[in-house]
Amino acid sequence: MLRGNFASDEIQLLTLFCISISSVLVGAFLYFRRMTMLANSLSHTILLGIAIAFIVLRSSGGAFFQLDLSVIVLASLITGLLTTLITNLFTHLFGLQEDASIGLVFTTLFALGVVVVTLYTKSAHIGLEAIMGNIDALTISDLQMSATIALVNLGVITLCFRPLFLSTFDSSLAKTFGISAKYYSYLLMFLTSISAITAFRAVGVFLFLALLVGPVIIARQFANKFSHMLILAPLIGMLISLIAIALSRHCYSVWDMPLSTSGLVVSIIAVLTFAMPILKLRRAT
Amino acid sequence: MTLLTFFTDPVFSMPTIGAMLMCLASSLVGVMVFLKKQSLVGEVLSHATYPGVVLGMVMFGSAPAVLIGAGMVSALALGAIRLLQNRLKVPADAALCFTLASFLGVGILLASRVQLTSALLYRQIQTFLYGQVVTMNATHVVVYGLLALIIILFVSLAFRMLIITTFDPLFAKTIGIPVRVLERITYALLILAVIIGIRSVGVVLMAAMLIAPPVAARWLTNRLSYLFLFSGLVGLFSGFIGTFLSVVGKGLPTGPMIVLTASGFALLSLLFAPKRGLLSRAIRIVRFRWQCSLENVLKACWKKGEYTPVTVFSRLIVIALQVQGWMRGKKLTLDGERRAASIVRLHRLWEVYLVTYVGASSDKVHVSAEEMEHIITPELEAEITTLLGDVKIDPHSQPIPPRGTF
Repeated sequence: MLRGNFASDEIQLLTLFCISISSVLVGAFLYFRRMTMLANSLSHTILLGIAIAFIVLRSSGGAFFQLDLSVIVLASLITGLLTTLITNLFTHLFGLQEDASIGLVFTTLFALGVVVVTLYTKSAHIGLEAIMGNIDALTISDLQMSATIALVNLGVITLCFRPLFLSTFDSSLAKTFGISAKYYSYLLMFLTSISAITAFRAVGVFLFLALLVGPVIIARQFANKFSHMLILAPLIGMLISLIAIALSRHCYSVWDMPLSTSGLVVSIIAVLTFAMPILKLRRAT
Repeated sequence: MTLLTFFTDPVFSMPTIGAMLMCLASSLVGVMVFLKKQSLVGEVLSHATYPGVVLGMVMFGSAPAVLIGAGMVSALALGAIRLLQNRLKVPADAALCFTLASFLGVGILLASRVQLTSALLYRQIQTFLYGQVVTMNATHVVVYGLLALIIILFVSLAFRMLIITTFDPLFAKTIGIPVRVLERITYALLILAVIIGIRSVGVVLMAAMLIAPPVAARWLTNRLSYLFLFSGLVGLFSGFIGTFLSVVGKGLPTGPMIVLTASGFALLSLLFAPKRGLLSRAIRIVRFRWQCSLENVLKACWKKGEYTPVTVFSRLIVIALQVQGWMRGKKLTLDGERRAASIVRLHRLWEVYLVTYVGASSDKVHVSAEEMEHIITPELEAEITTLLGDVKIDPHSQPIPPRGTF
């Protein structure tokens, strides 16, 4: 779909655009469903998912994180379902309080992921890369993949907008229409994990979380309708990516100071979000 | 290498003791946070220490600076969570999630600054992500020991106040316990435990050490004092076993190994704890069902005079009844007769009770009585008998057997 020659900056910018779109779209729903901490779990457990998927599909002996689409889909299926299922199991079967079961499950799975990766690659470096992301190593195939995932997210959410919207804001009404909130929760978790995996290389999984929640929090301050928010939030995410890449280039060329672009993206989101209360105060007076 | 040499070996003794002290501290604080249902706050605070670690490393390059930097930044994160929740009305989970991600992001930005200029410094910073115990020395152990001691002292001195504040904050306030001060101290201790812990477990997995030991302990006891005790023990053991595994299995990262050990303990406890564990709950259910089936066969036999088993399961039940002496052949023994009569009595009494006192119609009470006949205790039976007087006939005009020896 996306072919031809792109400069490295263009690839980075377009990839970040795609990641902003896909993460913000699922983020908006997760935010109102109070499920963002499950997304946090996913962003940790994805390491185990990728490790398992890689071991299963290891026939082609490539480098450890040379991901193709089949690995991504498999890994996100494993991660999304495993994490959500086990967390639910701990809460409902064992009767453990929710915060503790979320915390217990993802830390354990993440620790398991680190151990598996260390055993297979003899270095903990890959785990670090998962956290930090390496935006300068992006290639055209990464752009194609993130664009595909963004389109998938956009498509699924457009198709299922009514039931998703209803089960998010009025689950009892949704129930009377025969819409199962649980089913759509699993759907969202799946979308979250495929978005997380694509974001994994570009911005690192944890920074994906900032893109998931940050633009939604900012957009929430300006928009009172969910649909407005759904349009505004991705725009904010894209704007921030643009600023971050420009700033990163500026720092490098003018001050000779190499900074992590993904770190910059998150820092800008953080500054904007934590500046919101000040804006609000000024509006009130 | 035996287990004990870990404490005497010049290379491993300090890391082992250090990791154990750290796990002890975090599992004690973890209990307080767990009971407040704030375990995920610990998760956010531990991730949020990362920029503090980087700043401390880059600006001063010493261990105390790292501790202070990490502490200050995680206090800031606590403020950030409150700001988002109170000012922007962000839901709790999103506030936690965003604070976690944004602080970690700032940390990564700061770390990328030194990545190219000083590779050594960068590597030292990275060890804080997954933790590293092998480089601990006596000074570390003394510092960690002191910090752990502060936590133990606080828990034991303020134990009464902690009990009351945890389970009845309103009452605590009325009798003049400084609830807010106590809460602040708890958070301060949480930050303390986190900054001790990140050195050996790492910022990413620190939260597990706050959650897993209390969970393991919670399933074993209902008393707060034992909860602290068990949780501390689980922490100590996890610290030791985790370090041991990581040293024996060369190259395995210490932090994840400690965490996996602690979660292993938690899982064992969730499954096999004597009263609350999944297995003992399942056994209780099966045993109750079995008892119900036995009683149902006794009842059927009492009504018809004899009972011929049809299925394999019912044949098993009859054998069990014969072994226990309630049946002989297809007929009831004298004891069996009495016990069956008492079950039928409970069934019919309950039907009478439902019709006269609850006002249920007589054709609907059978289903409920079918369950209650297995549950009603002798005390409850006595209560119902005094309440109803000496009834002889149930709502379906069947005779109620008199109160027997059962």
